[in-house]
Amino acid sequence: MKRFRFYARLYILMISQYIKARMQFRSDFYISTFAMILLNITGIFSYWILFHSISSIDGWNFNQLVFLYSFALLATTPQQIFFDNLWVIRISLRNGNFIKYYFKPINTLFYYISEVFDIKGLGQLGLALVMLIYSSVKLGINWNLLNIIMLIVFILSSALIMISLMLLAASISFWVIESVSVIMLIHKLSEYSRYPITIFNGVFRFIFTGIIPIAFIAYYPSRYFLSQGTFDVKVFATPFVGIILFMIAYRVWTIGVNRYSGTGS
Amino acid sequence: MSIIQINNLCKNFKVLNRHQGFGGAIKDLFSRDYKIVKAVENISMSIEKGEMVGFVGPNGAGKSTTIKMMTGVLEPTSGDILVDNFVPYKQRMKYVRNIGVVFGQRTQLWWELPVIESFRLLKEIFEIDDKTYETNMGVFNELVGINALFNTPVRFLSLGQRMLCDIVAAFLHNPKIIFLDEPTIGLDVSVKNKIRGLIKELNSMNKTTILLTTHDISDLEVLCKRIIIVDKGSVIFDGDMQKVNSIFGAYRVLRLELSEQNNLEELSAKIMSNFKCDKPPEIEPCEDGWINITINLEEIKLIDMLNYLLTLFPLKDIKVEEIPTEKVIREIYEGGM
Repeated sequence: MKRFRFYARLYILMISQYIKARMQFRSDFYISTFAMILLNITGIFSYWILFHSISSIDGWNFNQLVFLYSFALLATTPQQIFFDNLWVIRISLRNGNFIKYYFKPINTLFYYISEVFDIKGLGQLGLALVMLIYSSVKLGINWNLLNIIMLIVFILSSALIMISLMLLAASISFWVIESVSVIMLIHKLSEYSRYPITIFNGVFRFIFTGIIPIAFIAYYPSRYFLSQGTFDVKVFATPFVGIILFMIAYRVWTIGVNRYSGTGS
Repeated sequence: MSIIQINNLCKNFKVLNRHQGFGGAIKDLFSRDYKIVKAVENISMSIEKGEMVGFVGPNGAGKSTTIKMMTGVLEPTSGDILVDNFVPYKQRMKYVRNIGVVFGQRTQLWWELPVIESFRLLKEIFEIDDKTYETNMGVFNELVGINALFNTPVRFLSLGQRMLCDIVAAFLHNPKIIFLDEPTIGLDVSVKNKIRGLIKELNSMNKTTILLTTHDISDLEVLCKRIIIVDKGSVIFDGDMQKVNSIFGAYRVLRLELSEQNNLEELSAKIMSNFKCDKPPEIEPCEDGWINITINLEEIKLIDMLNYLLTLFPLKDIKVEEIPTEKVIREIYEGGM
């Protein structure tokens, strides 16, 4: 607990300094936030156009899809905001700068990710919340205490899954030099989490549930809210998938860190 | 009990035997054909508390690998390593509280942040109490006037300023051992002197043990009494700097730019016949028409050689340099020191 407080305090200190420094480039912040929001609005917009000609996709109506989309967006936000530095890990591994993370008496993963805080992710967070509230009002979801608690639990679990997948992809950099393609792949696949998994064929359904579990990022947990009464065991497996996946990902990270030998001098 | 105790330290790397061409690249994907590269082979040394030791050797000699094992980045293949009663790679988190590491080419400060914020973060990370922090920062300001740089973001510092900051930052948590890797690389003479002065001061102040890697011989002359030379993964010399210095001091490299092409063999023969001695000067051609003549000052006076050369042909340019580490190492091998 004392250690947790130490890290929390350190994180806030590091990030507040980081934000202060980034704010010197204010236009950079505004433009990237604007672009991020626009990107997601166009995503929703394509749904909207689609629903002009059809009334539902595989039994999902427009508002349900917006709910699913916003759930997925919300679940990827912590990874976006706190773990953004993972995208560029290959650079510091290749030029040898990664070695500095060994020389401080703090956790290497913590030290590494604490260097970047993706401010524009806050814009994504805002948009996702607005969409979630909008769609749940339209759908008439009853936000009683239990549902709110379940939402928080599910969002945290889904976020953990997303973080773990990215961490796994980034950790591959310890073995493979050109690992950005793996990170890209995971990033692209995670975008499929915005669709009901039932629209994919059996092979992909199996992959997205059992191998690269992106169906747990939004589809299964959001079914808890959208089709209440029908209880699928997979819906409640979400937190466990998150925890187990994170344990695996963190282990792979640790093995990679121990294996890394840096560059000559 | 020595603060650094290393016995028969070895580090092997497994490297894939690569095949050529596209077909070879495909083959490599499935190949299990590894070769073992011995980066460090049986290094032993012990360093006492408060010592400042120069750790030198040509590129690829195994210096970096040894330092990485000492700082806990790499796990040794075999052998023992004990620094301040820690096995570095096993107890990294606890161990690094007692050491400071500076790599000349890369900063460990926060690139985007003003200098003072980097120091504040280090204070938090190493859990340094206020009193120690204030005292040390005061000392650093006295030594290098660091307060003037406080509000400058690290990325706006000049290389020299950044190096000064990086060095004092490594001392902030009062570590017992400091590893300095090329602290003067790429700096001009006046900044080099400033950095040497700083290192000397910091070493004597708290009796901090310092292991210094450098290619700059004058760093060693100013700072180190003891020097350890490694080559091909093994220690080939461990002893008094003065002994090595006598080798450095005894040789000069005379670099000449000739105004016309000369036959090198003919030139060699002329010099050899004019200066008859046990260790004849070594003559080798260099890029862009320069030639290097390495002479032993005990055998031949520099001025005699110059005078003689001037009688032979017109010279465009002359430089006199110290001999490179590689040559010193060869001397040590041959001289059997």
